[in-house]
Amino acid sequence: MKKSLKLLTMMVATIAFLTINMAMIQKPGGPWDVPAKYKAMKSPLKANDASINSVGKELYNKHCKSCHGSKGLGDGPKAAKLETSCGDFSSKEFQALSDGELNYMSIIGRDEMPNFEKKIPDELDRWAVIGYLRTLKK
Amino acid sequence: MRNNTFIKAFTFLALSLLFSLQVMSQEEATEEKPVARPSRPAFESGLLFDNATTTIQAQKTLEMIIQHRFGTMDNGISDLYGIWAPSNIRLGLNYSILNNLMVGIGTTKFNKMQDIQVKYNILQQTRSNSVPVTVSLYEVIGIDGSAESKYGKNYTFNNRLSYFSQIIISRRFNDMFSLQIAPSFTHYNATEHPVDHDRFAISVGGRIKVSPQSSIILSGDFPLGIQSISEHTEAINDEVGIAKPNICIGWEISTSTHAFHVYIGSAQNILPQENMVFNKNDFFDGNILIGLNITRLWGF
Repeated sequence: MKKSLKLLTMMVATIAFLTINMAMIQKPGGPWDVPAKYKAMKSPLKANDASINSVGKELYNKHCKSCHGSKGLGDGPKAAKLETSCGDFSSKEFQALSDGELNYMSIIGRDEMPNFEKKIPDELDRWAVIGYLRTLKK
Repeated sequence: MRNNTFIKAFTFLALSLLFSLQVMSQEEATEEKPVARPSRPAFESGLLFDNATTTIQAQKTLEMIIQHRFGTMDNGISDLYGIWAPSNIRLGLNYSILNNLMVGIGTTKFNKMQDIQVKYNILQQTRSNSVPVTVSLYEVIGIDGSAESKYGKNYTFNNRLSYFSQIIISRRFNDMFSLQIAPSFTHYNATEHPVDHDRFAISVGGRIKVSPQSSIILSGDFPLGIQSISEHTEAINDEVGIAKPNICIGWEISTSTHAFHVYIGSAQNILPQENMVFNKNDFFDGNILIGLNITRLWGF
């Protein structure tokens, strides 16, 4: 009787462990189809623009941090619940994307990545966020 | 006398509205001019404790509001500083029809108050300071759902209605500090003697941002005892007094879709007209309570 109980407990624990781990496996996002108009865009802000560390940082913390994490590593408290990986903003691959590509990906979004056109209506505020993403590189 | 004041207040609001429409039409006529960048909102949420701010969420945004006020802390540990005392709750829904026009409805536990709200921004502060402030017109119509017996023999539905009209003027001074001042006029169709039907008041509110997501927030509502519009003699008014100021100080945390307020305040009524006319809690006498606000946004 004791052996059966032990076996049953082990089976339940194994199933629970596998279920949780399978649920936590996230798909990579896949390539973005960024319109040419956005690809050609360049940020009007210089890298040392004051708004990057004020407006950009504030808006990043308000809108992005809960998924992307405070350092952009994709480890925010909501990230684990997403089906798609948040990526790593500090990586070379991410930082190699053009300003316009980052603008499209950050503001227009797709699937689980929300659209922020209404929440960040000002064009220069959007570029301040993109500028802040640039400060997260390793 | 009473009706005259009421009519004057509404006339003032109507003229303000017309003035704003005129300004808008003038702006349309000079379309070639570059559009001034609007300032970022002075406050994160459209709510500051029991008050409204000039912040209106983006067009086609639905905002759910939960406001909770515990009882006062007067009884100390016996009712866990008001947490076990009777509490007041309001549930509300606001919808932004335009970027500068919001309508809302709500229901409150005390007096079974139902409310309809409208907020319209007639001026928007710009970053160039060509417009130095944001100005909103705010109206709350309250419907008291109490039993008919509350109103005596001559009951009509109109007895249940109350009106709160306010002009809110705010300025975002910088990323850290914002301030607003808001004169208001409250009218109750029916009150019990010796409470006046009309009350002017001044509200002030402020925000000091201490981190990208957190702010210290403050506000005070100060009902004004103006003898010339009172229905009662000075002697009666001196004896009865008017509603006490509603003073609030708290913490605001805002995220992309939520705003949370945790605070200490003195009024428990939630709806502004109720606070301006009936608040008996004196903040400086220790009649304070814990209040919570939660807002959630959905974009459409």
